Order: sequence, then C-alpha cells, then structure tokens
Amino acid sequence: MGKLRRTMMYVPGNNPAMLTDAGIYGADSLMFDLEDSVALNQKDSARLLVYQMIKNNNYAQEVVVRINSLESDLGATDIEAMVRAGVDVIRLPKTETAEDVKKVENIIESVEKKIGIEIGHTKIMAAIEGPLGVINAYDIATASKRLIGIAIGAEDFVTSMKTKRSKSGVELLAARSQLVLAARAANIAALDTVFSNIDDSDGFKEEVKLIKSLGFDGKSVINPRQINLVHEIYKPTDAEIEDAKQIVYTIKEAEAKGSGVISLNGQMIDKPIVERAKRVLELSGLSEEVM
Amino acid sequence: MQKLFESDVKGRQALEIFLESFDLSLDQDIEKTYVKKSSDGKIIATGSIAKNVLKSIAVDKHYQGSSLINEMVSYLMEECYQMGETHLFIYTKPESYKAFEFLGFKKITETNRVVLMENKINGFQDFLKNIKDKELTSPSAGIVLNANPFTKGHYYLVKRASEENPWVHVFVVWENQSTFSNVERYNLVSKGLKDLKNVSIHKGLNYIISAATFPSYFISGKDEVIKEQTKLDLKLFGDKIAPSLGINKRYVGKEPFNNTTAKYNETMKKVLPDYGIEVIEIERKKIEDQIISASTVRRLIYEGDLEKLKCLVPKSTFEYLKSPASQGVINKIKKDYNEKKLV
Amino acid sequence: MKINKEAIAGTLESSDIQITISKNHLIKNTIYLESPVKHLYEVAIKKVIMNTLEKHQITNANVKAIDQGALDCTIIARTQSAIYRATEKKEINWEAID
Repeated sequence: MGKLRRTMMYVPGNNPAMLTDAGIYGADSLMFDLEDSVALNQKDSARLLVYQMIKNNNYAQEVVVRINSLESDLGATDIEAMVRAGVDVIRLPKTETAEDVKKVENIIESVEKKIGIEIGHTKIMAAIEGPLGVINAYDIATASKRLIGIAIGAEDFVTSMKTKRSKSGVELLAARSQLVLAARAANIAALDTVFSNIDDSDGFKEEVKLIKSLGFDGKSVINPRQINLVHEIYKPTDAEIEDAKQIVYTIKEAEAKGSGVISLNGQMIDKPIVERAKRVLELSGLSEEVM
Repeated sequence: MQKLFESDVKGRQALEIFLESFDLSLDQDIEKTYVKKSSDGKIIATGSIAKNVLKSIAVDKHYQGSSLINEMVSYLMEECYQMGETHLFIYTKPESYKAFEFLGFKKITETNRVVLMENKINGFQDFLKNIKDKELTSPSAGIVLNANPFTKGHYYLVKRASEENPWVHVFVVWENQSTFSNVERYNLVSKGLKDLKNVSIHKGLNYIISAATFPSYFISGKDEVIKEQTKLDLKLFGDKIAPSLGINKRYVGKEPFNNTTAKYNETMKKVLPDYGIEVIEIERKKIEDQIISASTVRRLIYEGDLEKLKCLVPKSTFEYLKSPASQGVINKIKKDYNEKKLV
Repeated sequence: MKINKEAIAGTLESSDIQITISKNHLIKNTIYLESPVKHLYEVAIKKVIMNTLEKHQITNANVKAIDQGALDCTIIARTQSAIYRATEKKEINWEAID
C-alpha cells in the first residue's frame, strides 16, 4: 500500500517564492527541480538554494528533487548536495537502464557513508522519458531497493517516438501501460506525467480519469489548481467507502475471534480484497478512524 | 524568456510594434534582445543589451503590477555578468526610472527624454573624485579625444588650448571600439603631450562618449537618436564633469568627414554655452594642404607609406608604429582595410 | 578564499535577493543593502550575509544586496552562490556551507 502519492507538485528549483510556498497547497509530495526548469548558467545557484531550503524548512510532505542527468558533472554534485540536505527522494531524469539507477545508488550510498546517516535513508525515483526506458521498465523498477516509484515523462517520450501529444492520449498508451505493469510487478509506485495546459481543466480531468483507470498512483502537477482536481477524482465514492469499511470491520472482528476463513455476504474475503479496501480508506483519509 | 534572433524577421516586426506603443525602438547598437510572451504568444515584456547598457525595456501595462520588470532586469543583468560586463547602465524614460531605483540602479543624469542610471552606487562620484586628485587650476579648458591614433592634428589642438588657458584637461574616449585599443590611444596621447606642462590626461571611462552616454558615436543611428544621445552626453559633461574641474571652455577640431561627429559638434555649440562653457572650434591643421586626420593616418599605415606618415604624426606615435608592440594593431588595420571596412 | 572577479547571484524577483560581490580595497567586508523591509530588518539581513562571508573566509568583499523579501535560507544560498562564482571555486566546501 504505502505512501499516498496522488499528486507530486513540480517546483522550479531557482525560484525562492515557489520553494517557500510549495508546502501550503496540499500536494502529497513536492518535487524541486534542478533539471529542465533551471537555466544552465543557474544550475549552481539553484542547487545551493534548494539545499538551503530543504535543510532549513520543515516540509510536511515528502520532498523529491529531480537532479540533472549523470552525463554531466552536475548530476553527481546534485546528489551530494541533496543527500546532505536530507532529501527524501532523488528523482533521476531520462532513465533508460537498470545501470542508470545503480549509478545513482552508488553515489547516494557513498555520500550517506561520508556524512554518517543511515544507509538506505535516501530513496530513488526513476523518470522514464524515452522508448528504451519504457522497454526496460521492469528492470529499472527492480534495480534498487531504494527505488520507490517510476514515472513517465511525456514530452520527451513523445518527441523520441516522433509523434505528438493528443487529447486521447493514444500515443502514450503503450508507455503508460508498460510503466504501470512494471511498477505493480515490482510493488512500487507508478506516476503519470505533467499536464501543461493549466487552463484546460476539462482536458486535465479526462486525463486524470484515464490514468486512474490504468492504475496509476498519481500524477505530477504544475499548478495548485490541479491538486484538488486530482484528489477529487482519486476519492472513492460513498458506496465504495461503505463497502471498504464493512470489509475492514469484518476482518477486525474475525481476528479478534480467531476465525480462519473470513466471508462477507457470502463472498470470501481474501488478501487482495482486504488490500483494496484498505486503499480505499486511505484515499478517503479514513484509515486511522477505521483501522 | 526567449532570445529574439536577428533572423527572426516576424518576431522583430512584432517587437517593433510593441515598442512603438511605448515610444521606444531598437537602437542600432543593440547586441541582444529578449522577449517574454504570454500563453497566447503575445509579447508582454522585452529588454535589450548594448555592451554594458540595458535599454529598450518595456512591460505591457496589463502586467505592470507584477514582477515582470524585476524578472527582465535580473535576466539582463545575469547575461551581462556572464559576458564579463559588471558595471551596468540603464537608459530609460523619465516616467519609468523610479522602478529601476528599487532594483539597485542610481540616476546619473537626465534630459527631458532620457534618464541614465548605473548599478554602481558611487560609480560616477568615484569617477569625479579620481579625475580631481591632481591640483586644480581653474578656469581650465576641456578636450575630448578619441585619437585613433594620436596625430599632429591632435597635438596642435591641445597645444592651442594650453597656450590660451591656464590648464587643459584632456579626456581620452575609453570605449574599445576603435582600431587602436584604449590603452594604446591613451599612451600615445600621454607621450605626445609630454612637453606641455599644463595638461592633464584622463580616461573618459563610461562617462564621456561611451556606450552609455553616446553609443551613436560608434554605431551610427537615426538622426533623432543621435540628437538625444548627444544632449545626454553633453549634459553630463556640462552639468557635472566640467564644473567639478572648473572647465569653462571646450576645444574641438572642425569635423569635415564624419556625419555623427559633425552633428555632435553642432549640438555642442548650441548646448554647452547654457552651462557656461564656451565652445572653441579650431580649423584642422593642414600639412601640404591636406587636413591631418586619424583616418588618413590609418590609411597610410595600411599603405606602409612611412614618409608621408612621418609628416602627419608626432615622433612618439611614429616610434610606436615602428616598434614591435604595434604589430597587433597594424595587422588589424591591414585586415580591416582588406575587408574594405571603413578604417 | 580569494575573490577573482565580480560576480552576481539571485534575481530581483519577489522573495529573492540579488547579491553582487566584488573586491574592495579594505581589510573588512562592506555591505550595501536595498530592501522593502530595510527599516525593520537591515541589521538582521546584513548579519546573515556577513556570517556567510566569514564562514567562507572572505574578508575583503564589497557586497551589494538588493532584497525583495527573501528568507534567511535564500539570503544564505544566494550569498554562497555569489561567493563561489566570485572566487571561481569548483569544489564545494560542505563544512562552510552548512
């Protein structure tokens, strides 16, 4: 089950105003970006800014930092800075192979050792943005124990596929499906890409409904307005909540009595059903109350 | 933020229209232009860089409350610093200069149409302090020379002033846009005037005929633009520089060749008397009926005509041109001339 | 650390601070500050900048700071960035950064 990641708010790393305010909008996670939203000649400055922000501000949410690719010197320095700052997750852009993930892991581990924090404290997220990455999705998803999720980056992907984004999203179908499959098989999170037209809320809602059906855990958002829309769509219906409550109460009672096989309304309640019920309660914010 | 490229004809046209609504245009000396567009592709802000001067900055009035101007100026400043230009100037309209004060720029001077500002808090003050650190003899005369290179004509002009005034202040144009470098020109001026005891030589830096005060001197532009810039340059000279040195006369050689310089001199004769400065225009010295001009000298350098050259330049300049140190500039002259650029 | 060239970091946008560092010819650091909250926080802001300079062993800096309401962590980050650009140092000294 794990952590809720319905929304990951994307914040440009060289913008103090946005970095300071990022936490107030209610996203499940925050992603501070050192990569594409930061001009080349500002990368050094953005890195120090994000470092100081993370180190000195207590963000209530999970903090993810998208580093620069390891192909340049920037990536390794980004990792060192962010691990030292105490970041929760390092997000690697344009991941193509399991090897890419392992390289990141090695650097993270050496920094954790150097500064004396718990080895394994810093997690990794891999953004897949090209066809090779999609093909290697499962290998990537299982490349490291630190890997907590994989995400799809549509803009670059669609360009490499020599096509464009459309309303139906058909050009991303294979990639999205492959990604969710890999994530589920590896038991990690699957996150969808950014929807850049902040004025098209209908189009946005359609896309969120689509990815929810496909099984994604959540989506990257670039604007506070998008956060509530996602949380609404990911919210279970009242009927679903009632059913979930019933299932969980049944389990609790059965456990108290020491019963073996459990059934409700003539149906066997096995592990997948329980998991799903717990998930529903989690999404509605009722986990504590019921469980 | 997007860079507007030279070859983007449509983009430039759109920008010209945008700037026109602010009564601004793109000066000829602009090297880089940036625009910011709204989500539907309309220009909402723009700014340009000409060496170390930020100009043609405008923000759409519907966005004027926001921090677009801050973003634009930061961006332009960052660009300049990346290029190694750290002493920056802003050209703006009197109505809008206050906004730039909050961004760390200080006003140096203004005419009724343009305000000149700089980012060094005491930049201009320090300049005035430095040129004053020799004993002041007033009244005195002022001369501004580019001296590309220093010729007998220049010497003649300064000598005349030194005979007619207790002291002469010579300012060497410091912009490095001439064939001879500013250091070379300054050295030749110093050496050439060594025997005149009542002359001090100063570097004009950013404050006299510079990219900041009078860019049209280097890259000519439209007539109204030349006129505005001339007024600004002369105001700074007449209102601030001349009084701090007790200058009440400015000597200048008659300009038969260059249109921009001729216009500058014309305006100078009209404007400087308002500051209590008399403009004395001297006929150019002739040698064998030929006016001595720096451009003639450069042509002779190209042609390698040492005999004629010796007649037109003082010994100090001639010695330099024969020395190995001048090899660089001589090659430059040859190259420029071969490429048929105006030398 | 030695200042090799004049450098700038940060922007003039809201919540940010633009820091320019150059060499001065004194044996102490000087700071010029513009800020919308100058009347309340001038001393505090200058202290943060000064501490950052001292932690990086800079003793002859001429600092110009144009503030638009930046938090301390932003002031520190931008000052550090300007220091690294001015001293042209590639390696980050993590003890000093902290």
